[in-house]
Amino acid sequence: MNHNEARLLIGGDPHTVPPELAEHLAGCPECAQFQREMTVLDDNIRRALEQAPLSAAPPHTTAPATVTPIANAPVAQRRKRASSWSGWALAAGVAALSMIAVWTLRPSDSLAHDVVAHIQYESKSWSSNEQVTAADVKETLARAGVAIDMDSDKVMYAHSCLFRGHVVPHLVVSTPQGPVTVMVLPHESVKHRMSFHEDGMSGVITPAPHGSLAVIMQGNENVDAVAQQVQQSVRWLPQS
Amino acid sequence: MRGMRNSGTETPVSSIDGSAVGAPAGDPIVRLFESMRPDLLRFAHWLARDRAIAEDIVQEALLRAWRSRDALKDQAAARAWLLTIVRREHARLYERKRLELVALDDGIELEGMPSPPGPDSEIDSLRGAILKLPLEYREPLIMQVLGGFSTAEIAEELSLSSTAVLTRLFRARNKLRTMYGLTPAPDDPHGEGVL
Repeated sequence: MNHNEARLLIGGDPHTVPPELAEHLAGCPECAQFQREMTVLDDNIRRALEQAPLSAAPPHTTAPATVTPIANAPVAQRRKRASSWSGWALAAGVAALSMIAVWTLRPSDSLAHDVVAHIQYESKSWSSNEQVTAADVKETLARAGVAIDMDSDKVMYAHSCLFRGHVVPHLVVSTPQGPVTVMVLPHESVKHRMSFHEDGMSGVITPAPHGSLAVIMQGNENVDAVAQQVQQSVRWLPQS
Repeated sequence: MRGMRNSGTETPVSSIDGSAVGAPAGDPIVRLFESMRPDLLRFAHWLARDRAIAEDIVQEALLRAWRSRDALKDQAAARAWLLTIVRREHARLYERKRLELVALDDGIELEGMPSPPGPDSEIDSLRGAILKLPLEYREPLIMQVLGGFSTAEIAEELSLSSTAVLTRLFRARNKLRTMYGLTPAPDDPHGEGVL
C-alpha cells in the first residue's frame, strides 16, 4: 500500500483501520499523523452533524468559496508540496499541536453545551402535547437500560435521539415548576456534578451508575430540587 | 404521519398529494417510526439545508414507510431503512426542485432555526463548512457519519463504486481540514486535482 492509497482509506473512513492500512501506518509516521488528525476531525464532524445546520449555504457550486490557497495553487506547486514530505510533516506536526491546544482549551462544559444545543434543535419538545403512553416511555428508556418511577401522564415527550453518536432517551416531564428535560446519557461519564446556565436554560449533569443524567429547565430556575427528584425516580436496569 | 401519537385510535395522515391513509396511533411500528422522527429530520435537514423542506421530506418519507411497512422485516434495521427512504425522498425532491432550491439558497436564513448556540465557534464553523460542501460530497459524509452507513452501503445507495465513495469522502474531509489550519492531504489519491 502506498501513501495515496493509505490516505484514501483514512480520508474515506478515519475510524476504520483494515489490516493492510495498519501495516502501512506502523511504518509511515506521516500517514499515521494524518490518521490521528483525521480521527480528531471526524469526531468533530460527528458533533457538528448532531446539531442542526446553522444557516443556508450559498448557491450550489462545484467548490466552496473558502478553499484555502493550497487548493487554488498551481498543480506544479501542489506537486512540489506533495513531494516535500519533511516540510509537510513539520507543518502537520505544528498544526496538530495547535489543534490539540485548541481542543484541550475547549470549555469543560462542552457536554452541557451539546445538551443545550440538542434541546434547542428539538425546542418544540418543551410545548409538546404528544400523547405519550407508559409503553412509549418504558420502551424509550429501556434502550438505555433505564426505567423511571413516574406517572407516564407527566411525560410530555419521549424520543430516542442521536446524541454524540449514541441513541439516548430524551424526555420532557411536566412539573409544577414547568417542563423539565431529562436526557439519559449512558455513554457520557462525568466525574462531578456540573450545573450550567446557557442560552436561557438552566441545567445540571450528574454522574450516574452508567454514564450521566442531564436535567434541564427553561429560565434561570434552580434546577437542583427537580434534578434530585428525577434522579430518585430513575432506576438503572441490570445490564445484560 | 405527523401527529400520529396525538390521536386516540386512528389518525388521518395526509400526504403531499392530498391523499390520506389511516395509521393506528398505538401500533408499535408507528411508535417506532415516530421515535426516530428527530433523527430523520436532522438527517434530512443536513441534506436539504432547509428546515421546512426537511420537514416535508420526512413527512413524505414516513408516509411511504408506512405504506411499505411490510417490507421492514427486522425492526432493528428500521433506522437505516427509514434513513434510506428519507435520502431517496430528498433525491427525488432535489431532482424535481433543483432550480428552485438553488434560488432558495441565496442567502436566506433557515426558518425556525435556533440561534447559534454560544461560543463554540469551532464546531459552528465546521457546521458552516459542511453546509457549503457540494451535495456530491456532503451526502456521503452525512450518510456515513450521521446515518452510520458503511462504504459499501453508500456505494449501493448512490450507485457508485466503493472507491468512488471513498474518494468523495476523502475530498469532503480534506476540504474540512483546511478550516482547522491543517494542510490538506498533499495530493488527490487519484490525482484529479480537485481538492
